[in-house]
Amino acid sequence: MHKNALQDDYIIEAEGLTKTFSGFSAVRNVNLKVRRHSIHALIGPNGAGKTTTFNLITKFLSPTAGCIRFNGEDITALRPADVALKGIIRSFQISAVFPRMTVGENVEIALQRPLGCSYHFWQSERSLGNLTERVDQLLDAVGLLGYRNRPAAGLSYGRKRALEIATTLALDPEMMLLDEPMSGLGHEDVERISELIRKVAAQRTILMVEHNLSVVAALSDNITVLAAGQVLSEGPYSVVSQDPRVVEAYIGSVDE
Amino acid sequence: MTDLLGVPPALLFGQLLVGLINGSFYAMMSLGVAIIFGMLRIGNFVHGAQYMLGAFGAWYLLRLPELLPGLGLPSLGYWWAFFIVPVVVGMIGALMERLFIRRVYDLEHAYGLLLTVGLAMVIEGLFNVAYGAAGQTYGVPDALKGGINLGFMFLPIYRAWVIGAALVICFGAWFVIERTKLGSYLRAATENPDLVRAFGINVPRMLMLTYAFGVGLAGLAGVMAAPIYQVSPQMGQSIIVTIFAVVVIGGMGSIFGAIVSGLMLGLIEGLTKVFYPEASTTVIFIIMTIVLVFRPAGLFGRETSSHTVADLSSGRVGSILENSRLWLLILAVIGAALPFVVYPIFGMKILCLALFACAYNLIFGYVGLLAFGHAAFYGSAAYVTAHAATAWGLPPEISIFLGICVSTMIGALFGWLAIRRQGLYFAMITLALAQIVYFYAVQSGWTHGEDGIQSVPRGRLFGFIDLNNSLNMYYVTLAVFLAGFAFVNRIVRSPFGRTLKSIRENEPRAISLGYHADRFKLIAFILSAMLSGVAGSMKAIIFQLASLADVFFMTSADVLLMTLIGGVGTMLGPVVGATIVAVLQREFASFGAWVVAMQGAIFVLCVLFLRKGVIGTLEEFLSNREERRHSALDEIKPMDRSPLSQTAEADAGGVR
Ligand SMILES: Nc1ncnc2c1ncn2[C@@H]1O[C@H](COP(=O)(O)OP(=O)(O)O)[C@@H](O)[C@H]1O
Ligand SMILES: [Mg+2]
Repeated sequence: MHKNALQDDYIIEAEGLTKTFSGFSAVRNVNLKVRRHSIHALIGPNGAGKTTTFNLITKFLSPTAGCIRFNGEDITALRPADVALKGIIRSFQISAVFPRMTVGENVEIALQRPLGCSYHFWQSERSLGNLTERVDQLLDAVGLLGYRNRPAAGLSYGRKRALEIATTLALDPEMMLLDEPMSGLGHEDVERISELIRKVAAQRTILMVEHNLSVVAALSDNITVLAAGQVLSEGPYSVVSQDPRVVEAYIGSVDE
Repeated sequence: MTDLLGVPPALLFGQLLVGLINGSFYAMMSLGVAIIFGMLRIGNFVHGAQYMLGAFGAWYLLRLPELLPGLGLPSLGYWWAFFIVPVVVGMIGALMERLFIRRVYDLEHAYGLLLTVGLAMVIEGLFNVAYGAAGQTYGVPDALKGGINLGFMFLPIYRAWVIGAALVICFGAWFVIERTKLGSYLRAATENPDLVRAFGINVPRMLMLTYAFGVGLAGLAGVMAAPIYQVSPQMGQSIIVTIFAVVVIGGMGSIFGAIVSGLMLGLIEGLTKVFYPEASTTVIFIIMTIVLVFRPAGLFGRETSSHTVADLSSGRVGSILENSRLWLLILAVIGAALPFVVYPIFGMKILCLALFACAYNLIFGYVGLLAFGHAAFYGSAAYVTAHAATAWGLPPEISIFLGICVSTMIGALFGWLAIRRQGLYFAMITLALAQIVYFYAVQSGWTHGEDGIQSVPRGRLFGFIDLNNSLNMYYVTLAVFLAGFAFVNRIVRSPFGRTLKSIRENEPRAISLGYHADRFKLIAFILSAMLSGVAGSMKAIIFQLASLADVFFMTSADVLLMTLIGGVGTMLGPVVGATIVAVLQREFASFGAWVVAMQGAIFVLCVLFLRKGVIGTLEEFLSNREERRHSALDEIKPMDRSPLSQTAEADAGGVR
């Protein structure tokens, strides 16, 4: 995987992205460009099509029209697992851990993938070698070290979200897509996860959907506002927050 | 008279008429199945039995004076039956919904299918006890006797009536559901029960009535079928698998698709009888295969993007019940002693079934896919091994190897066709695919039809172990079983097995980490087919027989039952389940025809009361005890506090 990226500044370029569900356009002609090594926020009222856009970029849904380029390469026809193999790892709006595995195993599943032995049904698990050190590092980074041997299902919601981030980081992705990472979190957790996002963004690009506007204001370099499946406004927080259309379409329906 | 396409017109039109008649019944039955699936998410396997009830209902009404002498009841003919029986059968359906089916709405689809399979076995088993295999005849009503000469063919009036009535009923039902307010309530009730409840509609009653309606349609089809086919306990069993295939072809849940495909497939079946009679029993299943390749959602179905498998496993990592080395040793010791306690042949039966169930558990327990056609792998391996040893005189090791190769290849093909589907859909597809193998075995010369391949020589393994000695045979079987058991455990505890587990627990997340979930599932499916083949091949050598029972769908149901009774997704469950089923079958053998009904009852009881199976329940007990011990310890130790402190949410974190 080579990067001809330096001359073109954008890691993701989506053009004319459209998704129609039996006649209803959830996303219509969306153009979205995400700058490398930036934190880009996607905001908009409920039902605006943010999650759908995520699903389209990661190919969990096939676009009805439009194309998506990652590092200049057309990824529109790829399958979701292949998109992940390119280095785009997403999270889900509802927390997505492997509930009956321990916290450590959750991270190991991700660490195991680059080793290339995941199809080896004839080998013992011990063939994976010692992943403990990496697991501990990653869990420590998100403050879950003390929970390594607990089943993930028993974690609080905030810790589940932290575990998801640790699992995602285990793959050292070039790009992370986070769908509402703060939803359902208490005040302290929000600060902690914000800090974490800022920290991990140093080496990579982050595209996130977020309702908490103060988080968006504090973290993001660039913002795209979606409403009814279309791009309403774009730019840094200072610009977007002054846009009268955004104020009109958004403020009335913010649910937090 | 000139021939059309080289076929006498009378034959052509005659078969087209037969096709249209069959198609009418397919349409009415598939319509009911599609409604029940669409609204209740239940794969109503008992639909065939309910159809049979309709036919018997008509026959009972006719014989009322004999059945209930002394009450002075009149004999009620066809027209009475036409109106009374569907209502009565529908009421029986409502009762079944009330007593059984309602309890599994909120569970995985697999349980609904298992429950209805069990109910079908009970009903059909009981009728079999009462009436045996012989069919009863039911006369055509007087008003519809005779026929019309159309010049090119003779059209019996009763048949014209069946076709016309079926069309009116089917399209009437379609209209009610898709085009009226009542139908839109129905659809809303399944999509958003809370909302509909808020409108003051009694949702449970509505679902019950929907089920009763679908079942009533089956009853009506049964009444209409009585004068055409023989009224026999088996009439539903032979049609239900076809109906499932029709529903898959039409597109699951598509009511219009079910009707149109039903009629069309009946016609195609009729045409096949004219032009290529050998394929007439399998043509529907072959069409299903082709449709699946090109339109995975069926002809009229909508593509869904759901990525979920069912996690039914109840094993617990680290439990003593999952310690593979310990139990391998224990099983080896028990196995070595067994032939001194029971007859070696019975011991070998248990070992074969246990290996088969372990293989099945790999796909059902560890991947979470409800496969319902494993008889195809077991049976095809048995046939090939038997044939190689008998007709070609090959030594047992090579015969077994060939059998395993064939089952593996069939597994690869079936897996490739089915793997992108989940839940009920996966079950119906594997069931229908397995039916192709069954009909092939019925018709092919080399399988010897009803007789099967008998007197298979056991021969000498590797040229020096004489398998005719029953203890030699037993210990070879034990070795094969232990190797298979160890292999399954290795798979489950390999990097591959871990990835499978992650897919089972949260498929979208596993995909988002870069795992091609379908590939993992396919490999597991092929491994499962291969190991089922090992069991089938061994069976052929041990019992010196390969027969239709090995490829019949009851074998698929049996292996499912064993896994369920023992504990899905547990290491020991399949072994325990196979032992229980083998013992029960032996004990029940003296009850003769009652066996099927009893086995069905066990199915039902398991689904209702023992979903975790013997081992799963034991596991639960052990883990509860352990938890109590832990919490006692926790009270002594101060709880740790960390910044991410929020109350634990109950959600299991899956994306549905
Ligand atoms: N699989 C689907 N089928 C039909 N409609 C969908 C599907 N997914 C999303 N939608 C619809 O698309 C719209 C956008 O949804 P979504 O992208 O989830 O919004 P949000 O911006 O809140 O994340 C909503 O109206 C939703 O109902
Ligand atoms: Mg969303």
